[in-house]
Amino acid sequence: MTAEALDPLIHAPARLRIMATLAALPEGVALSFTRLQDMLELTPGNLISHLRKLEDAGYLTTTKTGNGTASRTSIGLTGRGRAALEAYRDALRGLLGGL
Amino acid sequence: MNDTRDPEEAATDDGGALDPREAARLLEQTSREARRQFSLTPPLVTAVMGLVILAAYAALWLSVLGQHPYSGPNLGVIALVYVTVAVGSAVGVKVYQRARAGVSGSAVALGAAEGIALLVSIGGSPVIQGALHYYGASSALVYGVIPAAGPLIVVGTTLAGMAASKSDWPQFGAALAVVTGGGVALFMGPINAWLVAGIALFVGVVGYAAASAWQRRAAARV
Repeated sequence: MTAEALDPLIHAPARLRIMATLAALPEGVALSFTRLQDMLELTPGNLISHLRKLEDAGYLTTTKTGNGTASRTSIGLTGRGRAALEAYRDALRGLLGGL
Repeated sequence: MNDTRDPEEAATDDGGALDPREAARLLEQTSREARRQFSLTPPLVTAVMGLVILAAYAALWLSVLGQHPYSGPNLGVIALVYVTVAVGSAVGVKVYQRARAGVSGSAVALGAAEGIALLVSIGGSPVIQGALHYYGASSALVYGVIPAAGPLIVVGTTLAGMAASKSDWPQFGAALAVVTGGGVALFMGPINAWLVAGIALFVGVVGYAAASAWQRRAAARV
């Protein structure tokens, strides 16, 4: 097995950390953009860019509630995203076992 | 999220050179840290709570040791226990607020419902105690066996049900240990019931802290 077996969408430090953080929550639970940003210590622009890539792949969903200054964005891992992270973890295990 | 492109986006990493070992380390570290931050029962805080509970029950036991006839724990010790409960509750609220900041979804609403169920069950034992007092039961029952063992059985059963519904086996095991300890305490007499109940709670709470810490570490491992 080679490193190509690793999902390139997840195999990037920031996105790997986003996925791992959201996967630590139970299914059906979302996290606010602000808390996620605080936990990962990423800039808003950087975080938005990575979230957009993961959302485009169907790995997570973002929900915006409220308007103006009271608006709040929540991010949650989808079933597909959870499965993709599990597959990534398995691929990593296989790869490290072969090293 | 806004739709305007941020200049920083150009600098986002795609991790082309991310080594698999480094990825595994990052995944483990992030998973562990996230689970720690989202946890409503941090192992260290839980273990300390276990020790505090043991100390409180030991104080209650010492205050009734040698009583004949049995009259119940003295007011000073009861006040100390209430202060301990108040401090423990404040710590619990703080941990809850920190863990749940920015977290939303159906599971959070379920957690709130569980919290209410738990509060109701905590009130169950004093109600039974009050009824026993009303019907003229002895001090050994009203101020000894029931307040010592009752909360363990009532609250422990509630926690066991919640744990089973979530497949939280460390909590399920701990709750069963507490219920069993409460059952044993019922037959130990009004004095030793306090000691047995304290030990059962200590074993349940510290055992839960150890098991959940191990489980968390295992879940984060690649």
